Amino acid sequence: MPKILKVSFPEKCVGCEMCTLEAQRQLRKIGLDGALIRVFRNTNSKLGNMEYALEIDPRISSLNVDKIQKICPKGVFEVEEPD
Amino acid sequence: METRPRKILSIDITKKESEVKSFEDLNSYIGGAGLGFKLMEMYYDKNPLIFAVGPLNGLFPFASKTALVINNDGVIEDIYLGGNLSLRIRYAGLDAIVVYGTSQEKTILDITNTGVSFKDSTEDPETLGLPGKRSVIKVDGSKILLGGYFTTPEHYLEKEFTDKNISGIVVTGTELINIKDFDKYEDLYKKILGRKDELSVLEGTYPSCSNCPMGCGKSKTGEMGGNVLLHSLVACQYADRIYTDVGVVFSCLNVLGYNYTHEDIESLPKLIEQTLRRIS
Repeated sequence: MPKILKVSFPEKCVGCEMCTLEAQRQLRKIGLDGALIRVFRNTNSKLGNMEYALEIDPRISSLNVDKIQKICPKGVFEVEEPD
Repeated sequence: METRPRKILSIDITKKESEVKSFEDLNSYIGGAGLGFKLMEMYYDKNPLIFAVGPLNGLFPFASKTALVINNDGVIEDIYLGGNLSLRIRYAGLDAIVVYGTSQEKTILDITNTGVSFKDSTEDPETLGLPGKRSVIKVDGSKILLGGYFTTPEHYLEKEFTDKNISGIVVTGTELINIKDFDKYEDLYKKILGRKDELSVLEGTYPSCSNCPMGCGKSKTGEMGGNVLLHSLVACQYADRIYTDVGVVFSCLNVLGYNYTHEDIESLPKLIEQTLRRIS
């Protein structure tokens, strides 16, 4: 069973998109077309608070998710091993 | 000499017209500040607002800034804006965006790979373009902010938006960039990323520029002036120890397929100086 990449601490995200670009590189792509991770600014966050939201395509499990977790500078992700 | 044409999107906001032009003779200016200054000379009479990216934007870490070149009452200013705009311009397949003229009514520019739509100010820029692939610059209270956070020093963006009657710019980029030797590129990417301790800025928890893991507090208001090679690439000034190393610059340019020579790089400051002298 493939490992699962989870967004456990979205409040720590600084919007750098390192995760998005790492996932794209694993697909040998440079750009955002077909990105399996998308990072959005959360426009509903409280005034003055900058928050980001992440959306992960389930197909991310076919990639090396440990590398994606590791490249995040703020520890936003956790990797779950299936039982 | 490099022979890859530069793609420039020019937008006449008075006529609400736009066109993409390719220029082979702009290669010697590399990109970013160098390209922006040359475009300022070409469009000087139209008082343009110029956004220019460099060859490393969207491809290498810490190369995340967008060069803005403006005519501030006769003084040509180069400003470097943080956030995700440089990646979106690069992924839209463009090297620069030149905006000139004045709109009769407040207008939002909705820019994609395929062209420009002129929207009226009743639309919310956050609903334009594609989520996750767009960069949004819009009025936020009394300020003009990119991504709700990044801005320019001395309210330059506010002045430009007011003069041209622009209330928002949205750039969406969906092109993919092909690199011949992807493994070599990825290896170089990781090596440069591994040098983050050489940055002259501390890691923080502030909104970060795209493709930069630092989250520093310095990128909020951008940068002005500085090293022309760094700002033609367009790398962050806090990564100057990495990107003023000509060996690193050549490795990056070579893996991306550019054919610049040492003479091309060494002659850049003089070329820029001559360009600025002609328009000052």
